[in-house]
Amino acid sequence: MSESTIFTMAFVLYVGSALFYLAFLYSKKETLAKTGSIIALFGLLLHTLALILRTIQSGHAPFTNMYESLSFLAWATILAYLIIEWKYKVWKPGAYLLLVVIGLMALASSPLMPKDATPLVPALQSYWLWLHVSVTLLGEAFFAVAFITSIMYLRAESREKKGQAPKSGLTAERLDSISYRAISVGFPLFTLGGLVFGMVWAYKAWGTYWSWDPKEVWSLITWFVFALYLHTRIVMGWKGRRSAAIAIFGFLAALFTYFGVNYLLAGLHSYA
Amino acid sequence: MLKAIKNFFTSIKVAIVLLIILIAASILGTLIPQGRTGQEYLVRYGQLGGLFQKLQFTRLYQSFWYTAILALFSLNIIICTLVRLSPKLRRALRPKCDLDPKNVLVLKIRDKIKMSLAPAAAVQAVQAELGRRHYRVREQGAEKKHCLLARKRILGIFGSDVVHVGLLIILAGGIISGLAGVRGSLTLSENQTLPVPQAGFSVRLDKFITEFYPDGNVKDWKSELTIIDGDKPVLQKSVEVNHPLSYKGFVFYQSGYGSNWENPELEVRLKKKSDPGYLKNIRLRVGQPAAVEGEDLTLTATRFLPDFVLDEKNQPSTRSLEPNNPAVLIRGERAGAEVFSGWIFAKFPDFAQMHQAKETEFKPELKDVAAPQYSVLQTAKDPGVSLIWVGCAVLMLGLSIAFYWPTREIRLVLEESQGKTELAAGGITAKSREAFQAEFESIMSALRKTK
Repeated sequence: MSESTIFTMAFVLYVGSALFYLAFLYSKKETLAKTGSIIALFGLLLHTLALILRTIQSGHAPFTNMYESLSFLAWATILAYLIIEWKYKVWKPGAYLLLVVIGLMALASSPLMPKDATPLVPALQSYWLWLHVSVTLLGEAFFAVAFITSIMYLRAESREKKGQAPKSGLTAERLDSISYRAISVGFPLFTLGGLVFGMVWAYKAWGTYWSWDPKEVWSLITWFVFALYLHTRIVMGWKGRRSAAIAIFGFLAALFTYFGVNYLLAGLHSYA
Repeated sequence: MLKAIKNFFTSIKVAIVLLIILIAASILGTLIPQGRTGQEYLVRYGQLGGLFQKLQFTRLYQSFWYTAILALFSLNIIICTLVRLSPKLRRALRPKCDLDPKNVLVLKIRDKIKMSLAPAAAVQAVQAELGRRHYRVREQGAEKKHCLLARKRILGIFGSDVVHVGLLIILAGGIISGLAGVRGSLTLSENQTLPVPQAGFSVRLDKFITEFYPDGNVKDWKSELTIIDGDKPVLQKSVEVNHPLSYKGFVFYQSGYGSNWENPELEVRLKKKSDPGYLKNIRLRVGQPAAVEGEDLTLTATRFLPDFVLDEKNQPSTRSLEPNNPAVLIRGERAGAEVFSGWIFAKFPDFAQMHQAKETEFKPELKDVAAPQYSVLQTAKDPGVSLIWVGCAVLMLGLSIAFYWPTREIRLVLEESQGKTELAAGGITAKSREAFQAEFESIMSALRKTK
């Protein structure tokens, strides 16, 4: 079977998983969510296989153009979510998160994204491609989880303020704490992959570890925003609404670093 | 006054405001293209262009004010870290034991149990239980009242300090790079040797190779370099993109390439009008006469133009440095006398117009032109870079300590009550409260069962 067939099968499984998670939101039967989770896991396995096949066929890391890197980001987001879900036994974010993943997969499969595996331009021929991109995107995947749980926090909090009891036992406070956990995984990963590995590779390829290229600046901005999140939370004791707002803004900054910079601002990172 | 300054720099609020300003300023710098000419800004922004330049928005990250914010931010990090360090050190090295159970029972994680043991035995049991869970326990107290302080992973409280030290090392590296870094660019043709600016040694390009994929895309550029130090070749290495060469603190990067059309290799084909089978290929360079084998004839290319055009004065000239219309002024001589001369064109072999001293049967054609490729190497000496890597390592170490090595502390007060022991316990942790709570509860239930 070809890589694109397996990719499509993974996509279909994610859609199926999302349907189960959505059904869980309405019926509150935990088995539905667990089924969704298992389907997502199978989707992830197939997706992994697709990425491996892609690597074998193209002979290079599976994130050198927009199609590949979107697919990888979707993969990493599912992985990050399943880890968080398994660790904290929460099912509700699944529906929303799967929707984000489906969005990423749909964008990857859209005709706008060229899917041909092209040979690598000289600048990308380095094992730092693997280290820099995979670790950064994994970090961003955890930011995506925090983004979803922060939005859910804002909804849950306003509902609880009105005196409504939290449904399905997932309190606003717990959502707040899960966001923090996701960020405390994402932040070190993003620092290592995005900034440290990025600087090492830049030094090896361009002879300078920092050149104030828009993508570099935006990853620094993203880093500053999450540093702000951590400091306001740990030192000043901010929690709740303001924390959630910073986490949401942080993910949007990460998304812009990943996506927006390529299309809206010109710079050295013109490959993907 | 001094106190106000100290308050200013020790305030976390100031740090947060500075962080927000840095975020906003950095965003601004990505919206305005950096480092363009004044003309471009005027075209793009009109009147605002001048204002942007005055406010240094056009070289924002190198501007005085951005640097000043970074400096204030660093100062804030240094002072905040120092101010918080001494209480932390005191907590780590000379912790205090509290004998009042009330102070223990205000903590968020807490419990109060009764143990059916005498205090001395109870203390031993508690110490054993906590020791099994890798807590280091300090004990203080008299016969009837004991205070225990159990902690593990105490290093965890210093995680954020280590992160800040890492950041400061990176900033110091950045300052050194900015002040003492040397950057340059060398354009080398094959077999050319050039001194490296400010280095005291030279570099020679032995060979430049462009490798292609089967579909014609470039796979790699390679420059085979020899470092010549003190008139002796000391180091030979092939430099490619992502694989630089370093020598005596200078690093050489493959950064570009091009073709030198000033003095290309020419291949001229000589035909005879009378003899269709006659064909001679002669390799030539401008200004270097070449004898034609079997004929009493010397060919000289006197001039080469890569993009031939006649200018306003009807003189041959070149439109560009690209080989769009390569042309050679060729001259044939026999015994010092000109036989023919004229321009020949690679793309228009029949267009030749020859001035002829005598009627000649020779017809020269420009068959091929090949420009020698040159390689552009970036040279850099960056004495700050090793500090950057040290800083990155310290930063990552600090982050792992801060996030994954959380200090846990349990304070216990044991009091004698009718031959048995009342135990009040409270726990403190900065991270992963749930996991700690679970551990705390399991310790307490184990102690309850102790007999």
